[in-house]
Amino acid sequence: MGASEGLTEWVRRASLGQASAFSELYRRTRPQVARLVGGFAPLDPDEVEDVIQETFVRAFRALPRLKEPGAFESWLLSIARNRARTRLERKSSTRRLEEDVADPEPETVPHLPEALQLERDIEVVRQLIAELPEGEEKRTVHLFYIEGELSAREIAEKLGVGKSAVTMRLERFRSRIKRELLRRVLAGRWE
Amino acid sequence: MRHLDDGALRALTHQDAATVKYFAEHLAHPCDTCEAFLAAHDGPGLLDGQVDSLLLGLAPRASQEAPLDEVGLARVRRAMQPQRPGIRRWGLVAGSIAACLLAVVLLPRMRAAGSGDSTAPWTGQKGGAARIALELSVAARDDGGALRRLDPDSVVTDADVLLLRYHATEAGTALLFEQRAGEPPELLGEFPLVAGTHDLQGPQGLAGVSLAGESGLVTLWLVGSAGGPPPAEAVRELLEGENPTWEHTALAVIRFDVRVRNGQNRP
Repeated sequence: MGASEGLTEWVRRASLGQASAFSELYRRTRPQVARLVGGFAPLDPDEVEDVIQETFVRAFRALPRLKEPGAFESWLLSIARNRARTRLERKSSTRRLEEDVADPEPETVPHLPEALQLERDIEVVRQLIAELPEGEEKRTVHLFYIEGELSAREIAEKLGVGKSAVTMRLERFRSRIKRELLRRVLAGRWE
Repeated sequence: MRHLDDGALRALTHQDAATVKYFAEHLAHPCDTCEAFLAAHDGPGLLDGQVDSLLLGLAPRASQEAPLDEVGLARVRRAMQPQRPGIRRWGLVAGSIAACLLAVVLLPRMRAAGSGDSTAPWTGQKGGAARIALELSVAARDDGGALRRLDPDSVVTDADVLLLRYHATEAGTALLFEQRAGEPPELLGEFPLVAGTHDLQGPQGLAGVSLAGESGLVTLWLVGSAGGPPPAEAVRELLEGENPTWEHTALAVIRFDVRVRNGQNRP
């Protein structure tokens, strides 16, 4: 959610209970949450809406305990991903209900380390995308993350493949980015 | 060669120096095993959220100007009211029910308050939006799937789901509110209106109002306007009688009352 400017102040206001601040946070962040949750292939539109709602309910309830207002976006998206995964796992009955994917505790959310400052990392990710071999994965990543207009389902239709194929490509690319960022965190934080 | 696993993740979380050093070097190169592990496991810390924030931040953002999804926010607010026993889920019922509803429900006479007698448009602009008139019919779907048409003030059970069908004289937009006795109206959803007789449905299918957990008088308000939706907060004030000018708007306001009986007390 790169444009975090201004969000922190709304987070502070919301943590004080200002209703308008919750509305503003919801307005600003819902599109990204919806895009993230909508990328989970097996969730139907109703389930996506339920996950979005659950994400914001959990986040807003815990907001007063959020230690780092500047980490709100990442924290919110972590919750969204966990809620989506939990919904999927319940749907596939691979987990029992009590084995809920735990959300990050708001009291322990760390301040973003220097190594993860967005401007720098965005350049790294753009470079990694540029270095991808020409093909369907690169096309998919470009359509979803760079152009950012089409949903996973729309990309699937455009490319003539199933939505699950699109989400698999995106997840594969995402895991590479996660590895690279973890490496940078490890190097930046403790070297 | 060591790869990421639960133990390594714990060690990284606790900043074990040797583990950090090893994986800072190991992860500098592509590793299918570690990437597969990272794809299937959370963390460490907020890394997943940071990754998603980064990736979703690559595209041009319009969220600063994004309109507020009032319906979604209303759902969140309702879900955040912890002690309310009668909190209902605003369900979108499968589109297949629409076919059943078509076969069962005929458009009845309805109460159409303030639907077309006004002179000033909602926005207050001279010569503004066209007036719209609405009629509404309501059917109850019981837990066995059977449908029955309801008259105003009908007695229903909390296992019923209310399905709505409207007749509009113009295309426009409607807001659907639900109001419990002694409480302010709550926005349930925003729906496009098409001239003619249609099931009330949003982009995801037919709209249904579950009565689970409800009891006593429940009022549905369907408020239509030609063109875009009226401001939800202003409409709420109108319905609560806080705005005395509502009869002079171009809104069509339909009220439908039901009396919900707890299913456990069914005869």
